[in-house]
Amino acid sequence: MNPIVFTVLLSLHSIAAASRDTIPREGFQQIQFDASRFDSVTAFALRNLLDNAAGRGLPTGPLVSRALEGAARRASSDHILKVVRDHAAALAEARDALGVESRVNELDAGATAIRSGIPRAALRAIRASRPVGSVEMPLTVLTDIVQRGVPNTTAQDAVTSISRLPGSDEALQGLQITVAKNAIRGPGMAVDALNRYLRGTVQGIASPSTPATGDRKPIRPPAP
Amino acid sequence: MSERDGVLPFPSADDDALVAARLASLYGNTRPVERAQIERCARAVLLEASQQSPRSWLAGVRYSRWMWSVAAAAVLIVVTLRGRPTTLLEPQGAVTRVDDGQAIRFDLRLPARAKAVAIVGDFNGWDERKTPMLKRSADGTWSARVALLPGRHVYAFVVDGDRWLVDPLAPQVPDSGYGPTNALVVEGATR
Repeated sequence: MNPIVFTVLLSLHSIAAASRDTIPREGFQQIQFDASRFDSVTAFALRNLLDNAAGRGLPTGPLVSRALEGAARRASSDHILKVVRDHAAALAEARDALGVESRVNELDAGATAIRSGIPRAALRAIRASRPVGSVEMPLTVLTDIVQRGVPNTTAQDAVTSISRLPGSDEALQGLQITVAKNAIRGPGMAVDALNRYLRGTVQGIASPSTPATGDRKPIRPPAP
Repeated sequence: MSERDGVLPFPSADDDALVAARLASLYGNTRPVERAQIERCARAVLLEASQQSPRSWLAGVRYSRWMWSVAAAAVLIVVTLRGRPTTLLEPQGAVTRVDDGQAIRFDLRLPARAKAVAIVGDFNGWDERKTPMLKRSADGTWSARVALLPGRHVYAFVVDGDRWLVDPLAPQVPDSGYGPTNALVVEGATR
């Protein structure tokens, strides 16, 4: 074979291989609606729900994910349809609270937060704390620590305070694991740990609430 | 008065030297305890103890004394384990970025034996056949490596095809109607 032709073919092959291996950097993980995982009636109803959501400008990826999760858990058809319908309504609320420019992952995190009882005002506050950066991490941490027993307002104050700091995703992860570990120790310990972590992370901040316990075991704040 | 009548056999209470001499002479006449004597006493005590009934009745239930020890040990174990639920009774998970951040390795350590473990999530269409986890060691640690896009992902673990688990310390997504799941935010997402 001609060396020039060989070199050109080799280069084309390398470019093709590189493009195959490249992971897209943006957007919701592509999930295809697999109708074969549902009975025909459920699949038809789900398609209607997805079309309706798309017509309202809502992302369908999170809805397909909820439907497939239900199928994997062998939930009943009625159950799956109810979960997908509820999540579509929550996505619409999250879009109103976070803004139409929000990414799909942000809307999904916001919808999850709303479904767990976090008020829309909290979503707006978190968006205000990060007008440019992504709010996926703050919303994920907020939902988690509220789930572990931290009151809504205390959790919201803590997360928004940390979110304002530049490059604060790592600090938010630290807050989540601190609360998770201390919540196991008993009621009130999660709030106490959160207050101490916050004082160590955000310089000069006043405690958002009084200590829940008298336990003075130190919580290590993240390295500055 | 004689000594038998209880009067001190000393001229005066201050005569220490005389008291010391008397005591020394008294104890000096005592024979040292013999080893055989100690053994005889020990055998007698053990024999007496063994002839006592080992069982008693309490509230109509026959019990042996060793049962108290077992009960105390059980209480101790329960109290100890209550303070460490995540280390001994629940699964432990870990998430690590690998391959220069291009992929995520999920580790799950299970307290009980499992035949098969899979990770499911929005990245694999919640299909437990797509991402089986490999058993890494005999201590019950299972691992899987997944290439994930930047952003938030929801996942869970399926043990032996029917038992769904979450990592108790990782960020949790509340029960959305099916059951809890975990959430992971892969860095790199921007608006």
